[in-house]
Amino acid sequence: MMASRLPMAAAPTLATPQKINVIQGEYHVSADSNVMLTTVLGSCVSTCLHDPVAGVGGMNHFLLAEQTGRGTEDAMRYGAYAMEMLINGMLKLGARRERFQAKLFGGARMMAGLSDVGADNARFALKFIEDEGFVLTGHSLGGTAARRVEFWPSSGRARQRLNVAEEPAAAPPKVPVKVDLGEVELF
Amino acid sequence: MPAASSLKVLVVDDQLTMRALVRSGLQQIGVTQIQEAADGEDALRMVVERPVNLILSDYNMPKMDGLGLLRAVRTYGPTSKIAFIMLTGRADTDLVKRAAQFGVNNYLVKPFTVQGLRGKIEQVFGALT
Repeated sequence: MMASRLPMAAAPTLATPQKINVIQGEYHVSADSNVMLTTVLGSCVSTCLHDPVAGVGGMNHFLLAEQTGRGTEDAMRYGAYAMEMLINGMLKLGARRERFQAKLFGGARMMAGLSDVGADNARFALKFIEDEGFVLTGHSLGGTAARRVEFWPSSGRARQRLNVAEEPAAAPPKVPVKVDLGEVELF
Repeated sequence: MPAASSLKVLVVDDQLTMRALVRSGLQQIGVTQIQEAADGEDALRMVVERPVNLILSDYNMPKMDGLGLLRAVRTYGPTSKIAFIMLTGRADTDLVKRAAQFGVNNYLVKPFTVQGLRGKIEQVFGALT
């Protein structure tokens, strides 16, 4: 007697997830659902843009003051350029700026006593998003902790991990208190 | 030696932030007659109605890009002599070559400084007063 043969179900094809690190001064855009963009931010700011209709997204990573050191307007021109590169990359993949949704991360105060470059970066990014009329769907800016941000460009999902001790910038306690905030799904 | 205040300049960029920064840079070098357009089509309509001395235009824009604007301006008699400076990214060497073929007067690489902006305008018009 022949054994009955069950039809074989097709094995699911799972593409290997691709992790792309976006370093300072660079950007990356993608419509690939297997791509995850990641970066580590101190006082730098990262903009994560997403077009939910086109399924396109991208991330940049910039720092205003240290890039130019020639005053506020030079710094802003650098920031606007960093944003423009990301936007143009998105448009080339079929995104439309009227559908842009933005998430902003970073801008921490990493060293007490120095000028708050992180706050300048965060302020610039928030004003840029508002001026250009993009929808701000989430942000985590400021504080004193470095962040690792992960962003899935095709879905627009983002999460961050705060991986540095939260300490007051002005008057640190005698015994530093480590706060492990773990991995936090934000949006 | 033209007076900066006598120059009529049209700034064309789809980013409001960039237009504001270019306008501010122009004001710092003494230019007062500044108009803005958010894309090539609007810019073309504006210069046909009210001619300017200089167009400072981005390349990547919706509807009509900077190269399209340059070609349109150069092929229409009344606007064909308008000075045209293209704002480009760092890696856009091919764009600069194509723009040169269509008669661009100069190009300015972003992010630019006010001194850089002034220098490029002076290369076209001579020293500004």
